[in-house]
Amino acid sequence: MTSLPLEGIRIADFGQIIAVPYTAQMLAWLGAEVILIENEQRLTTRIWPPFAEAEPGVNRSGGFNTVNSSKMSCTLNLRDPEGVALAKQIIAVSDVVVENYSSGVMERMGLGYVDVRGLRPDIVYLSLGAFGRTGPMKDLVGFHSVINLFSGLASVTGHKGSHPRIMGGLFPDAFSGCYCVLALLEALYHRANTGEGQHIEVAMTETLATLLPEAVMEYTLDGTEPERVGNRHQGKAPHDVFRCQGEENWVAISVENDAQFQAMAHTAGSPGWADDPRFATVEARLDHQDELGCLVHRWTERMDVQEVVEKLQAVGVPAGPVLDSAQVLADPHMVARGFVQLPDHPEVGPRPLGAFSWAVDGRRPGTAGSAPLMGEHNRKVIQELLQVPEQEFERLVQSGAIS
Amino acid sequence: MLEQGALSGLKVVELTDRVSGQVAGSFCARLLGDAGADVVKVEPPEGDAYRRNGPYPAGAPDPDHSGLFLYLNSNKRGVRLDIESPEGRAAFSDLVSTADFLVLGQNSSEVERLGLRREKLAVADSGLIVTTITPFGLAGPNSVYLGDDLIAISAGGMAFATPGIPDRVGNLALEPPLRSNTHMAGYLAGVQGAMASLAALLSRTIQGTGCEIDLSMQEAVAAVMPFELAHASYHEAKPRKPEIFGVMPNAYLPCKDGYVVVMAVMEAHWRNLMDLADNPDWAELEVFSSGVERARNWDALEPLLLEWTMSHSGAEIAKLAQERGIPCFPAYTVGQMVDSSHVTERGFMVDMQGPGGEEFKLPGYPVRLERTPWQLFRPAPKLGEHTSEVLAEWLGYSAVQLSAVGVWAR
Repeated sequence: MTSLPLEGIRIADFGQIIAVPYTAQMLAWLGAEVILIENEQRLTTRIWPPFAEAEPGVNRSGGFNTVNSSKMSCTLNLRDPEGVALAKQIIAVSDVVVENYSSGVMERMGLGYVDVRGLRPDIVYLSLGAFGRTGPMKDLVGFHSVINLFSGLASVTGHKGSHPRIMGGLFPDAFSGCYCVLALLEALYHRANTGEGQHIEVAMTETLATLLPEAVMEYTLDGTEPERVGNRHQGKAPHDVFRCQGEENWVAISVENDAQFQAMAHTAGSPGWADDPRFATVEARLDHQDELGCLVHRWTERMDVQEVVEKLQAVGVPAGPVLDSAQVLADPHMVARGFVQLPDHPEVGPRPLGAFSWAVDGRRPGTAGSAPLMGEHNRKVIQELLQVPEQEFERLVQSGAIS
Repeated sequence: MLEQGALSGLKVVELTDRVSGQVAGSFCARLLGDAGADVVKVEPPEGDAYRRNGPYPAGAPDPDHSGLFLYLNSNKRGVRLDIESPEGRAAFSDLVSTADFLVLGQNSSEVERLGLRREKLAVADSGLIVTTITPFGLAGPNSVYLGDDLIAISAGGMAFATPGIPDRVGNLALEPPLRSNTHMAGYLAGVQGAMASLAALLSRTIQGTGCEIDLSMQEAVAAVMPFELAHASYHEAKPRKPEIFGVMPNAYLPCKDGYVVVMAVMEAHWRNLMDLADNPDWAELEVFSSGVERARNWDALEPLLLEWTMSHSGAEIAKLAQERGIPCFPAYTVGQMVDSSHVTERGFMVDMQGPGGEEFKLPGYPVRLERTPWQLFRPAPKLGEHTSEVLAEWLGYSAVQLSAVGVWAR
């Protein structure tokens, strides 16, 4: 049995929307105590769909509840100096601050790294920005789509001869979040060894640009811009998604070598494909992808996705279903592995979500708990942790510092 | 080795797939090297598969200068061993026995065939952390499936979710799901593998023992789509129609000279956007009175917004909108990104040189740690460059032992 690595670590979470909330959620899953500091004057995902049963409500948002599970919620008015003073007290008893407000917002509230280091010298403080905190574009605002477009990722995504596309799933936020967690774990290990805290700065545009080494290299060598190639690959064919029986059902097939192609041809009942000079070698298949694609498609379209996957995998050909998000959550393989978890929630009941992508000695590290109701832990945080007396607590509620 | 790196003094052995290579395992090990660990990449006699990938600085194939290999393997040393020969296997086992981490990137059947499960490599209470990255994981009904980037992006839900924002296409149902022409699943899994490895390291400081990490590329893809999964979890099955936040406008539209994203999901953004469009009468219509209403009536709103986008260039739209805090941006080419003053001033790209002095750049490290800053302190190894050095330094191998390992030591 493995201990959770962040037990005893407290996080002050000033995360906005997805990237940093998702970062702090991963830290909570790793055992940290995460205090989400919410600003009722500036709600985002709590008031955005999807809502449970399509019924709006600050505790009913799937977007919010999926990136804030296992946290505590404390609602402070950060436009009120007394609200900011409470935030500072929380930071003073925390190990880590994470934030992704627009550049300069934390500093204007007196909660920037320099201020915070005075409260807690060994603090680990992470700032994430769409474009980072330095450079001429640091004040530009952008969500996942802007990050896709600036980083050049969109320019290598799209069908042949067609316009750049934006990859799905809002992954730039969560992918940046993974880099953030990696950096925070590194900084916490460094702090454990040296006693030193530090500031960490992350630009989402740069996390996405780490996906593009070949394109950056080719452009900087001789100015070549990449072509969009749909689902095709420079060295594998067929390498695409093919339609199967039913509505919007697709299978992904990736053939790397001649042996796999021969196995596929036999499985498809067309051993002749492998002898056809247009398809006999990788080079020939790359030159005749349209013709080959039509033949493969004519085979797959009569079959069920799972049938194609099983038949090809049985003969050693890489193939997989194209799953939608509902199918991901219901996938028997991922459910059996423990990737899909079902945290309960007092208002919306149990709702599945995706946990960490790995198991440790056969068990998923951490278990996703409930997402907090708005302000659910105000008393716990302010009275129990900060030791603010009852009367003072009531006064701060009345004055609106605690919202 | 990086003097001030957080992981200074820790040792990593990396072994990835001999035939097809694997971005995930190599990138995971590189990130541990970036954090200051001493990373030794074990390559088969013929060299890592990505030595044959390119692009090549001089144009012609050159195993010591393949671009993808250079990127994935900087900050590592390289050892050439045939782990399927008895001597090579013994040397590999010795390296692993002194290491803190073993990073593996193969298909699960290959991990089993080569006897690379942690229980075969180390006693239960050893400190060894084995990070295994496979297409579908080591356990579960589909664990024996073969897979690559396309398969993981598809089976993890991301291909179906693309395009990730309402886009000007006639009928998405007729358009195949899409992947990006990168090794995206490999990088996603690689970063998560490094994260899992560091989490295991922190656990080791508490409990004293290592562990086996079983990371699935399929899940590494699904894990970075929490919002997409939330839509499925909070609605019934979702049609292939991106709604993102369920509020509009948040769309990718053509403009005078290309494409631009127009995003005004918050009320303040919407009002500012309408100011830019000279507050047309339709802005006041009840059907556009909130983000949710604008999503419901998007079919009516889209052509109205298109009139505005089509009368401006992408750069104009971005400038006008960003001045008012609205997150709009045009589609950049790779060159526009690389040459932008932003990327240049932040010094994100790393300068590299090919064998004939060819100059090029590769992406750097996207995280700036004040106390333990990243640096490229060692270029990717030439094939077998450090075999003798590492076997002598880590294991104290004598000249006689080195020669027994075979022709691979040099």
